Amino acid sequence: MRQILASLWFALHSAGQNFRRNLGVSLAGVFTMALIIFLVGGSLLFTHSVDTVLQGQEQNASHLKIYLSDNASLAAITNFESRLKHDPRVISVTFETKDQAAKQASQNPSIASALDVLGSNPLPASLNLDVKKLTDLSQINNEAKMTPIVDMTTPTDYNSDVISKLNTVITVIQWVGAIIAIILLTISIVIIMNTIRTAVYSRRTEIEIMKLVGATDWFVRWPFILEGMLGGLLAAIFSGAVVFGAYRLFVQAAQGNLLSVPFDARYTITLLIVLLVGGVAVGAFGSFLGVRRFLQA
Amino acid sequence: MSVAVAERSAAPPQHALRPVISFHGVSKVYPNGTEALRDVDLAIHQGDFCFLVGPSGAGKSTFVRLLIRDEAPSTGRIFIDGQEVSRMSHRKLPKLRRKFGIVFQDYKLLQRRTVAQNVAFALQVTRPGQRHMREKVEEVLWIVGLEDKLDKFPDELSGGEQQRVAIARALVHRPRIFLADEPTGNLDPDTSWGIVQLLLQINHRGTTVLMATHNREVVDLVRRRVIAIDNGRVVRDEAEGQYLREGTATL
Repeated sequence: MRQILASLWFALHSAGQNFRRNLGVSLAGVFTMALIIFLVGGSLLFTHSVDTVLQGQEQNASHLKIYLSDNASLAAITNFESRLKHDPRVISVTFETKDQAAKQASQNPSIASALDVLGSNPLPASLNLDVKKLTDLSQINNEAKMTPIVDMTTPTDYNSDVISKLNTVITVIQWVGAIIAIILLTISIVIIMNTIRTAVYSRRTEIEIMKLVGATDWFVRWPFILEGMLGGLLAAIFSGAVVFGAYRLFVQAAQGNLLSVPFDARYTITLLIVLLVGGVAVGAFGSFLGVRRFLQA
Repeated sequence: MSVAVAERSAAPPQHALRPVISFHGVSKVYPNGTEALRDVDLAIHQGDFCFLVGPSGAGKSTFVRLLIRDEAPSTGRIFIDGQEVSRMSHRKLPKLRRKFGIVFQDYKLLQRRTVAQNVAFALQVTRPGQRHMREKVEEVLWIVGLEDKLDKFPDELSGGEQQRVAIARALVHRPRIFLADEPTGNLDPDTSWGIVQLLLQINHRGTTVLMATHNREVVDLVRRRVIAIDNGRVVRDEAEGQYLREGTATL
């Protein structure tokens, strides 16, 4: 126990000492890392915001209206409805009668007067579907068209074009975000590795002596790993604060605009934690790689 | 000087049951093709004091590096304390190196630490949390005669004093074997003699001492075992040898 505490103290002490003695290099490393973490965090938040907005659009777009033939029997309709209700791709199904359709349509005064003139109700009854995934929409649409009770003149109604475009956009944004994050992460590991390598180089005599008198590899490694973790933590705190501030400003600026972005507190907190843990982990891993070369032999 | 030698002429303790260092057909060829050692067979016993002599590039440094397993031999086997080190795993090296106390020509002191801190460093990194560290450091600095320089920094000391600090650091964990690679290489004759006296004193306490050196004067005065290496081969191994083969100008 005493030995572990003493080792820990030694590692902490020399990590801090190292950081201070090479303050210029250390701060440059922290700053570069902070920049990268900021970019990672920013791009993740941006992707998430766009995602949220688009998903909102998706909610509106994932409706499918199936018009029913006037000749369809109630039994056939109920049968078809329950089949749709049990379909795993479908969230909900509501049945709209001819009367309800007329009532709905009558909200527009010109349609109301036209209906009055006609005296009968030409509007079809319909089943209104909410579908879980946009990608399923066209398939369900095709299946519905095959059903005999569907109105043959105008079988279904949904905006297929917008939906497929929206889908592509969402997928592309998610991929681009992920690729950018991976590239930035790799860059930051390389940067940390080189920063630590500089620090290690300036202490090579010390490491040489440590190895000579029989210190274990981990004993030599720990101070540098702690130093890397410290740098990663500082960088993450700094850039996390900047990302958070920028996000709030962005949300405020977007408020009242057409695409108002909701402030997602849960996502933000998760993201900040991920940035902190990620910064520390990247710092540790970079140091591990940086010190490795000097421990071989 | 001769007086000092007379004082040390008593035979060193010989409890030669099992050699503390033994080489069996050891050769070392570096990746670039240089053959640094060829077919070396020898045994060094507990309490021995050995000089390792030979011109630069003869293989002395390779010999030292093989001992602490900084390098592995190309062929042959090396035993330290009965333990084969030639094929020892990387994980076991720290334990092996703690059996040695090592000093070099260039002292390898940490310039930002005081004398006492330099010596304590060896204990901190191998036995963290050890009790009575300060006393142990002071004791060993007293042995090397620097008890009044505890808080000086290396650049405030003379070359000889710096080498004494290095010796204290190598001694503080009570090694079985003391390796000195050209310890007097940077020192004037009088200071060199003081360092050699110190090594003899360490040997007198029972520690095996191996000193690689160019210093002909010292070797000829001390008259201990001499292992001469030339071109990677052991060309001479005498119990009370001189730097050169008796009556000749060659090793």
